[in-house]
Amino acid sequence: MEQHVMNSIEQSLNNNQPLSSQTLASLRSLIINPTTSDSSLSSLLDALTRSLRLTRDSVFLHHCLKLLTDLSARRPHLSPFAVDLLRSDSLFSSASPRLVGESLSALLSLTSSQNDIDAARFVSLCLGPSVPVRLWLLKNAEKFAIRESVLLAVFLGFTRDPFPYVRKAAVDGLVKLCKNGDFNDRDVIEGCYCRAVELLRDAEDNVRSAAVRAVYDWGKLLVISSEERNKQDSSDAVFIQLCCMVRDMSMEVRLEAFEALGKIGLVSEDILLQTLFKKVLGINKDKIYKPIKVFEISASAAAGAFVHGLEDEFSEVRMSACYSLHTFTVFSSQFAGEALNLLMDMLNDDSKIVRLQALNTMHHMATCNHLKVEEIHMHSFLSTLFDSCSVIRSATRKILKLAKLMKLELFKLCIDGLLGNLETYPQLEPAFGGKLGFDSTRVAAFLVLAISAPLSNESDVCGVPSRIFSYAVTWLGRISYALSDVMNRETLLAYLSKCSRSSTISLADFKIKEALPTVKGDMPSHLCSEVGSPVSMPLWQKGVETFDHHHQKLFLGKSGTHLEYGLRECDELRQSVNLVFRKVKDLWSLVQLGCTNEALKAISRACKEEVASFTTDSPGSAGAVAFTLQYLRVIKLLAAVWEHLMPTKKLNCYGVGKLELLLGKLDRRLREIRNKFIGLSKAEELQILELIVVACLLRLSKIEICCYDTAMKKLSSIISHVEILRKGGPIEPSHFIIEVKKLLNDIGSSSGGSTCKPLLFKKLIDSFSLHQFVLGGSPRHINAELEVPGNDSENPLPFIPGIPASIPLAITLYNVLSEHRLWLRISMGEESTQFVFLDLNLIRSSDEVREFTFVAPFYLTPKAISFALRVSIGIECLQENVHQVKAFGGPKRELAYLCPEEEIFLCKSTKW
Amino acid sequence: MAIDSLVLGAGQEVGKSCVVVSINGKRIMFDCGMHMGYTDSRRYPDFSLISNTGDFDNALTCVVVTHFHLDHIGALPYFTEVCGYKGPIYMTYPTKALAPLMLEDYRKNMDRRGEDEQFTSDHITECMKKVIPVDLKQTVQVDKDLQIRAYYAGHVIGAAMFYAKVGDAAMVYTGDYNMTPDRHLGAAQIDRLQLDLVITESTYATTIRDSRYGREREFLKAVHTCIAAGGKVLIPTFALGRAQELCILLEDYWERMNLKVPIYFSAVRNFDRSLINAPGPCVLFATPGMIVGGFSLEVFMQWAPSEMNLVTLPGYCVAGTIGHKLMSGKPTKIDLDKDTQIDVRCQIHQLSFSPHTDAKGIMDLVKFLSPKHAILVHGEKPKMATLKERIQSELGIPCYCPANNETVTVPSTHYVKADASETFIRSCLNPNFKFSTYSSVDKSYLDSKYSKAASGLQVSDERVAEGILVVEKGKKAKVIHQDELLLMLGDKKHEVQFAYCFPMHTERLQKTRTEELPSADTLLCDLDKCTLINQLSMKLSNELSDANILDLGEQLQVESFRVSICSKNSCPHRLSHSVHNDSESVFLCCHWSLRDEKLAWKIISIMKSSSPHTT
Repeated sequence: MEQHVMNSIEQSLNNNQPLSSQTLASLRSLIINPTTSDSSLSSLLDALTRSLRLTRDSVFLHHCLKLLTDLSARRPHLSPFAVDLLRSDSLFSSASPRLVGESLSALLSLTSSQNDIDAARFVSLCLGPSVPVRLWLLKNAEKFAIRESVLLAVFLGFTRDPFPYVRKAAVDGLVKLCKNGDFNDRDVIEGCYCRAVELLRDAEDNVRSAAVRAVYDWGKLLVISSEERNKQDSSDAVFIQLCCMVRDMSMEVRLEAFEALGKIGLVSEDILLQTLFKKVLGINKDKIYKPIKVFEISASAAAGAFVHGLEDEFSEVRMSACYSLHTFTVFSSQFAGEALNLLMDMLNDDSKIVRLQALNTMHHMATCNHLKVEEIHMHSFLSTLFDSCSVIRSATRKILKLAKLMKLELFKLCIDGLLGNLETYPQLEPAFGGKLGFDSTRVAAFLVLAISAPLSNESDVCGVPSRIFSYAVTWLGRISYALSDVMNRETLLAYLSKCSRSSTISLADFKIKEALPTVKGDMPSHLCSEVGSPVSMPLWQKGVETFDHHHQKLFLGKSGTHLEYGLRECDELRQSVNLVFRKVKDLWSLVQLGCTNEALKAISRACKEEVASFTTDSPGSAGAVAFTLQYLRVIKLLAAVWEHLMPTKKLNCYGVGKLELLLGKLDRRLREIRNKFIGLSKAEELQILELIVVACLLRLSKIEICCYDTAMKKLSSIISHVEILRKGGPIEPSHFIIEVKKLLNDIGSSSGGSTCKPLLFKKLIDSFSLHQFVLGGSPRHINAELEVPGNDSENPLPFIPGIPASIPLAITLYNVLSEHRLWLRISMGEESTQFVFLDLNLIRSSDEVREFTFVAPFYLTPKAISFALRVSIGIECLQENVHQVKAFGGPKRELAYLCPEEEIFLCKSTKW
Repeated sequence: MAIDSLVLGAGQEVGKSCVVVSINGKRIMFDCGMHMGYTDSRRYPDFSLISNTGDFDNALTCVVVTHFHLDHIGALPYFTEVCGYKGPIYMTYPTKALAPLMLEDYRKNMDRRGEDEQFTSDHITECMKKVIPVDLKQTVQVDKDLQIRAYYAGHVIGAAMFYAKVGDAAMVYTGDYNMTPDRHLGAAQIDRLQLDLVITESTYATTIRDSRYGREREFLKAVHTCIAAGGKVLIPTFALGRAQELCILLEDYWERMNLKVPIYFSAVRNFDRSLINAPGPCVLFATPGMIVGGFSLEVFMQWAPSEMNLVTLPGYCVAGTIGHKLMSGKPTKIDLDKDTQIDVRCQIHQLSFSPHTDAKGIMDLVKFLSPKHAILVHGEKPKMATLKERIQSELGIPCYCPANNETVTVPSTHYVKADASETFIRSCLNPNFKFSTYSSVDKSYLDSKYSKAASGLQVSDERVAEGILVVEKGKKAKVIHQDELLLMLGDKKHEVQFAYCFPMHTERLQKTRTEELPSADTLLCDLDKCTLINQLSMKLSNELSDANILDLGEQLQVESFRVSICSKNSCPHRLSHSVHNDSESVFLCCHWSLRDEKLAWKIISIMKSSSPHTT
């Protein structure tokens, strides 16, 4: 086939005949065929070169052009030859501009060189009669290295072309030129600007929208080239000129106009305000601008430009108008205020994008402090908090975070709206707490204000919606700080809870006046007993429908017995603590959603700070507070570990190490919470055990880090412990625990339990949800204080190397029972650790506080001039399995440490 | 040629829109409405003005109806069935579908009021059979010369603006239109056309309306507050469009706010009456709109006594209806008849929509279309006068607002068709733009009215203007290229040339002459000439830096200006008085053509100044 075609070519060339169209077609098939050999292709090229010399037939030339383009596209190594041929006289210098245009475009697509054509040739081609070539050249003008002045003349000239597409290409070219070029000839700029303005009245939509861009870009140059004192006026004039186009019949033109409007930075306030009113304002009547000599435009042309844009039929235009508004809100607060009136209406728009853009613009206003929300806006504004689209809701909350509200009523409306928002979409607002900023000081301050306002002026409290009070209850710690000079926390809580129940209660009812003098004195006042009295009890327990469900749960907790007990005791602290626990439970859902960081932040910020603000003076309260803090630590670690198990999280080597570290820490904290507190009820203990089970499961579900046998052993021991607890009293383990038990049985029965099943554990973990911890009694905290009096790095204890040293320790133990086994852990650097048993039977003292001095021996003194020891006291975890066999008679079980490590300095004695 | 517009209705008033326009021999009737305010002969347009004989078929080419409102279509059955017009009637598809319903409804009402019937139900059916429906933007060739086209007008479903063109004359009749969109209708939309005349409505000739958003916001707030408090909302509706608009508004709000409160339409299906008093909030659309009776009254009677409920009223209610009573001050009791009294405690909310464009919209449309003339109809006389002034002063368009039965005549465009020669067409294809700047522009340009074009740099492309129109006797006019003219006329080209010969005296020249031998005179003279020309050339190139000076040895050329040394003794271009000192000077003879006149005189003055001894 190849041979045949080549022969026929040879033949016709030898006879000086041009190639027939049939031959050309077969040539094309040769070129397209990937199996055609390179040698025949190069001879084909030769043949084409020869035949190009033979004929000038335009049909042939077009064919040839096409063949060459194909060839170089398919065989890149042959493309230089093809390009040379394309540049040859017969094609490139042909008389037909069309052919030249085509070969130019082929050349451009093949090579990146710009020098195929010089200015004169470019202009002559443009001026040729072929419109497609002209259009192509204008569109691709920047690809050739042609002087700006030539291009400017060509483009400007062709804005007069009778063909609309040529006009459009010319205007586009002018725009590009203006952006890239450097023009400072005022005449040129004025000329181009005028031409662009003239084209705003073109009959074609395309040309008009291109002209809008041109007016903007050349207008910018016009402003720059104006004298300093005329700059503002010129800019205003360009702005007004563009405003004229917002009523164009073509949507594209309007869109273009608004985009351009938004980009003009410098506009005077009068003109800006005019764009928001359809009626011509008094100040703008008869105001005439002359950006160029003898060129006039009246300010009234700007009337209502933005109003029209916001009312537009097309959401694209409305959105663009909203967007453009935002640049101007920075400059003028008056403009921002008026624009806000219009923007608020955009929140009723049927297009989501428009609503969102309106909110974004408002957000922008808020950031530059120009957002002045007024009462009449509130309905449509707050309604966005109920929008079915979550993006819009969160945008609104973002604004609320920044908004400065002028009046208390507005603030109250906002809080109402936010609460409603949370009620309507409780599970869908992961941003709550984190981004929303309920935990921010500002909000707390507002709440304080809202609450103290009626307190201070004795007016009826019903002015404040009861929901605010119930919300405030959760912020008790903070608010009581703020109001500490007026009332103490107990009074406040009673007040708040009463207010939140009924909005009709008045201050007179509450006798707050009488309560006030007693505040600073003894705590239990009649107020407290009033709240906690059995009389009000039924109301609390009935769960009346009007009673906010939020609230109800807050106080009722899980079991009735706890509640009754708590109320009778009137133990304020426990209530507050339980509130914290409740919040932790709520925050846990965030962890499960994957918002670990937000949850962690909220826990440490809100909860810990709050717990820290609890008074620990009263007997028993210290234990509860310590317990709560420990619990929070556990939960934080659990959350941190949980994050690693999220499916999205990819575990890398680094992650494995980190996870192991975290799990180790978690184990330690759990050990502490389990062993360092006494007086926990069985239910409480069960909840802690559940957490330990979770920790075990977490370990088991990660095959990379799990030491299967140990973990399984631990798990089964915990489960059996749960069994023991269950047998001991009327406690129902949670569904989760039951599931775990089932799984353990399954594994045990199936295969002797030696295979790993991380997926099974994973599934179990997913079914876990944190229950609210309810603190019923008052746990006691086992802890210790350890000190070596008078020892620091300046005053070391003496020692003789190789001979045991004695270390006198002043120890105070709290809540240690005689059955506890305490150990002193003395370590020297990383290398040697020594345990000393503390025999409590030797110390005769009460269980609650034991204070004594103990002289601990340290045997392995190094051969050094000085060294430091670290000493701490640990309690042996009796409930843990014995799985550690230490030499030197150390503890058989894990230790939970009761105090931070104390550093002790020793120095070689020089006395002897 | 002229366009005659005979205003039969809606001239300086609102009602019975009807304009008969004659363009180039074609007569089109735009709209055929009735006046709702009259029951006598003033109700219909005076059709006798179209034709005395009643031969409407020959008097009119076609009837065009813009939309189905009665003041635009009400007289149509009367005109076709009673007056006997049988020609074509054009309207959009939705108008054709809805018009019979409107007409039938009106006929029944007329019947009920006991007025004498103007047309029957059959008349309506027969009339609608004559209607030819058109699509928007569809160009309909009514006959050989007349074409019409409908454009979207907003206002009400099916409303259209109509473009009509006969030959070169074109006009637009807007009907009622709205330039701002609402939720169920878009804004009017039309192309930029070459128009001789625009006839536009002017309902709000001086009003500038604020945004509909405020009204919507109030409405939604009232409804939401009501249902949030457990109340019921009654929305009496009758006007086509208003119900749909409210519906879309509420539907959208419901969806956005995730509301579950039911919305009922009593008109769509038979409404289960037990739902009226079902507990819980709801929204109900009921007819008729002004609570004159029927279902809306029934519901109103049950809901009005509770202050939790809400009734929303349209912007306009006829006097005497309950709607009107509710609007005019808040009554506590309404006497329905002697026996029944309604205790009104519910909230009232008023919501008005107006589907007409405002003054700014009219101005914007007229500005966009930029017709040669404008006529205002469908408005109130004093307000129309104000708008007319604005159109004339701000837009510079002559504007008229004729009263009923008056005729306005405006000139129309008429193009003469001409052939074009091939060379001319080819020359048109090639761009021929020119740039001009201040320096070359005549000063008078600056003072002229078209001063916009007088800025620094301007561009013109006069490829079309450079043809020559030739009208030969008995032949069609033809445009040819200038090069072809001579060929066609078979004549020679004549060119006007200026010539000027003046003496120039030089010292050096004289010196050489006296010293040299006479035998070498001719040779020296040649040499002499060349030196002189050379000197001049240098001189000129110093003075005229941008001119292209060609030194051709014996003569010097700048553009078309040529200068050479005159060897003749009596040159015809020489001014006689300069002949006297012949011996001491050399004569320079200059020639130039008209286009370089300025340049020529400039060069001459330079040359003259370079020879101080010239007398």
